[in-house]
Amino acid sequence: MMRADKPAASYAKVGRRPDEVTLKPDGGQLWHRWRPPFSRRHWLAWRGRYNPKSLQRERLLVDKRPLWWTLGLGGLLIAVPFLSDQFVNIAAIFCIFAAINVIWTLIVGAAGIFSLATMAVVGLSAYAAAAANVYLGLPWPLMMPVGAAVGLIFGLLLALPSTRLDGLYYALLTLGIAEICRVSISQIKALAPSNSSINGVASFIPSAWHLQRPGLLLGFAGAFVLLLCALLVFRLVNTERLGLLLQTAREDEAFAEAVGIDYRRARWLVFVLASSALGAIGAFYAMFYRSISLAVFSLDQLLLLFAMIVIGGLGRSEGAVLGTAIVVLIDKGLIGLGPLRIIIVTAVMIIVALTAREGLTGIKAQFQAFRNRKKSERRAARTEKGGEVMPEEATEISDKQLIYRRLFDKRLRDALKSSITPDLIAEHRAKPLGQHSDALDRLLNYFRREEMPDKYAILRVGPLRSCSYRVMALSGRAGHPPRLVDDKLYPTLDEAYHAVFLLRINDLLAS
Amino acid sequence: MSGTLLAVRGLSAGYGPLRVLHDIDFSIAPGERLAIVGLNGHGKTTLFRAIMQLVGWQRGSILFDGKEIGGTRSLGEGRYTPGIVRLGIAMTPQGDAIFPGLTVREHLDCGAHAKTAWRDRTRRRERVYQLFPQLDELQGALVGKLSGGERRMVSIGRALMSDARLYLIDEPTLGLAPKVSKRVIEALVNIPLEGKAMVITEQNVALLSGAVSRMMGMHAGRLRGEVGHVGLA
Amino acid sequence: MDATLVIYALYLAAIYALMAIGISLVWSSIGMVNMAYGATFAVAGYAAYFAADSIAPAIRSWSTGVDGMVLLAVLTVMAGMIAGALFGILVYLVAFLPIHDKPNFAVRSLIVTLAINLAAVQALLFAFGPQQKALPRIFGVGRFNLLGTPMRLDQAITILTTIVLLGLVLLWLRISRRGLEIRAVMQNSEGAALCGISTRWTALPVMMLTGSLAGLAAVLLSQSIFVNPSAGTTPLIKGLTIALLGGLGSVPGAVLGAILVGFLEAITGIIPFLGQRYVLVVQFAFIVLVLLIRPRGLGGLLDETRE
Repeated sequence: MMRADKPAASYAKVGRRPDEVTLKPDGGQLWHRWRPPFSRRHWLAWRGRYNPKSLQRERLLVDKRPLWWTLGLGGLLIAVPFLSDQFVNIAAIFCIFAAINVIWTLIVGAAGIFSLATMAVVGLSAYAAAAANVYLGLPWPLMMPVGAAVGLIFGLLLALPSTRLDGLYYALLTLGIAEICRVSISQIKALAPSNSSINGVASFIPSAWHLQRPGLLLGFAGAFVLLLCALLVFRLVNTERLGLLLQTAREDEAFAEAVGIDYRRARWLVFVLASSALGAIGAFYAMFYRSISLAVFSLDQLLLLFAMIVIGGLGRSEGAVLGTAIVVLIDKGLIGLGPLRIIIVTAVMIIVALTAREGLTGIKAQFQAFRNRKKSERRAARTEKGGEVMPEEATEISDKQLIYRRLFDKRLRDALKSSITPDLIAEHRAKPLGQHSDALDRLLNYFRREEMPDKYAILRVGPLRSCSYRVMALSGRAGHPPRLVDDKLYPTLDEAYHAVFLLRINDLLAS
Repeated sequence: MSGTLLAVRGLSAGYGPLRVLHDIDFSIAPGERLAIVGLNGHGKTTLFRAIMQLVGWQRGSILFDGKEIGGTRSLGEGRYTPGIVRLGIAMTPQGDAIFPGLTVREHLDCGAHAKTAWRDRTRRRERVYQLFPQLDELQGALVGKLSGGERRMVSIGRALMSDARLYLIDEPTLGLAPKVSKRVIEALVNIPLEGKAMVITEQNVALLSGAVSRMMGMHAGRLRGEVGHVGLA
Repeated sequence: MDATLVIYALYLAAIYALMAIGISLVWSSIGMVNMAYGATFAVAGYAAYFAADSIAPAIRSWSTGVDGMVLLAVLTVMAGMIAGALFGILVYLVAFLPIHDKPNFAVRSLIVTLAINLAAVQALLFAFGPQQKALPRIFGVGRFNLLGTPMRLDQAITILTTIVLLGLVLLWLRISRRGLEIRAVMQNSEGAALCGISTRWTALPVMMLTGSLAGLAAVLLSQSIFVNPSAGTTPLIKGLTIALLGGLGSVPGAVLGAILVGFLEAITGIIPFLGQRYVLVVQFAFIVLVLLIRPRGLGGLLDETRE
């Protein structure tokens, strides 16, 4: 006899998202996970399950972000060689700013330190690395370590007050420090004789290729690698142990402290790490442009960067990259528009901040929450006459049958409540074991269906001939004895039956 | 104006996935003084906050003087509260002194914030001072610096300053010494109702017995004690 | 320190106090950091400029004496304040009303007001170009002697106007019904709701009031500097730093901070090897120092502030 191996396609389409792409693996493959050699991590979050309705084996990708990252970055990498010189340059600038923003996101979003000294760190390290190259003859491969070292030292200084001050106060402090940096650099005549900028910095791009197509492509390649490194740093810090510590502090500082998590130290560590990374990016910045000028410290630049991370969504790397892409495209791509560009950027900023709770990347979650809320509100309104499910509660119940079971139960109870009359009770007292009228039968049938916990039972007390009865309630849990309900003694079994009946009616009316 | 002032039907409310109130039904007639008695954490405060639309979500009908102020809602807590206050419900929140930096006098004026009441505020203040003579001497003192009992009086006085027809007094004796508690309750009992109504929540039944016209128990988010039990002698 | 310097310091302090109190009041009553304050300043400056520009000939043909001067001064100040108040309404409509009861309001409103600030500055640049506009000397350029101290007329009038107007505002906050509302919302917005006070309707007069304070500051400061699209940036940064120095939300703290910073600026300006270009750096260094010693500013010394 032949049996269909696979159910019909329409039958497999069940559940909340029937068209979601799932793999249909065989046998043990369902639970198989590949991990890179010598590591204990999985790169992709697969989930194996049996579909609760079709009972088919399924594997689905729970977190699809790696796919999007690959698509986006890979697409950029493939597209760039075919773009015009101007857009290759824009792509490279995008990569540099995205790298800065990813690291800044680490400080603001993950560590929760509202620092505005990002560009100050970048600029200071860029100046230091450029000066080391131009005046001390440092070869270019060593510029990035020098930048990182300067960033580390500057980060250490900046981090000192970060745990003492909070929010706006620290933001102001860092803004002040950035301003102090700008002015002091502009005053060091020995450092930058011409117009406070250092020119002729050595670079990984051969000087013959400067502003030529191969040079632009190489510059883009370098910036792309920089962005990948920044994302790696973000990923390593944010999802490993340090990120976990920081998350506890974000959720509840007092509690984190109470369970012995030194979140201040974790924040401090992340801040210093990120500053060091920003320093390296600063050195790259100087190499990329072959010069460094005071414009890097300007408030407008900082505000533009702020617009980027805000549009994408504070605290997520994908938000930082997405926001950077949008703002850089508007700012550098539409350069013909003049001051109108900034107005467009601010318009995007306002629209995003007014509509999205957490930037563009938070829109999906926000929309889902909104839809769930509206759904459960409607459900609650529909069942106002006798459902049991509340707004916000229905979203927590995954088995929707439970919702309808409660609705049915509530209506049944309401109907039964209205049927309880003194006559009915008198009827039961007269004949506890039957012959019953229809109304009483319905009531007793409902009682019989009740769940085991707190179900009543009758206990015989004393010797068989002269016994009396008491009422007890079952615990409903194996190994847990029943408890006595009260200390009344009933001389006959019928009276005990009736007492149980009254107790149940009382429970029904009180529910 | 007989009948019911406030009719609550099937009111459930809570915060997020947590459900605090379960299908509350009760009503109150003009001139009544109702006490709701129950232990901490059983939903007395949530009941008041649901009437004022200050909870996370709620469901069920609340008719105040024939006007629906309930309904199904989640999020947007506090948005409609000023409107409900203007309809004529005054609530004194749990704890005390809602504006610690204002003086007693300014605090009372806040209660008479509605335009019509504002013109009349001096006379109303005098009435409050008659009820709580202690406050007369403390007119200029910051509420944050007063003792617990005095603050409670200010809080109740503020409710009395408004044109409310329904007073919701939440735990008037919370954290007070027994002697002071008695005085506060006495003052509440002495407030002439004249067609208005008052609901008081309290943990201590003994304090209120005999002082109110009706008493209801509250347990685990349900009202108990008002419902007559059939057949149980 | 000679008297001229003191007067100059007080003059700066007066203008900074207007800005700082505006920022402080908005923060403490409706929990929003108004970054659009710089734009309010610039817009009000332009409005005052155009108002003065268009009515000055008419007034001069009517009278060239003191009464004409006074009329011009009053009209210019009024124009600036009304423009500031209108811009305040705009900020209220865009940045406050749609999101004031939504999650994450503090950060989101900060972003929106910052964007409004940037957009307004760019729009001014777009409309009027980067040229600087000089407001007429509405208070005259005369000097007079007070108790043997020579004073510039405009500085003296600025100090007086600020003291009188700030006094009036603070008095209004103390005694009027609206003022009581604002202070109630400032202390506890849920409690205010229980008194029937709606935060939405309280925020509107606050925004108008603070907007007109910025307008006043713009007209007063434009007596010594020019109006240009980004004229508001420095006053915004200074106002913000002073508001923070004073402890956000504390009016006495803001006044004290403004006086300190005013004196600091006046003194830095005359020290030979520092000079005007170091004013901002010295100020920031001072504020960094104060914040390192007192993380919540000076405000905690004087009264309770919003958390």
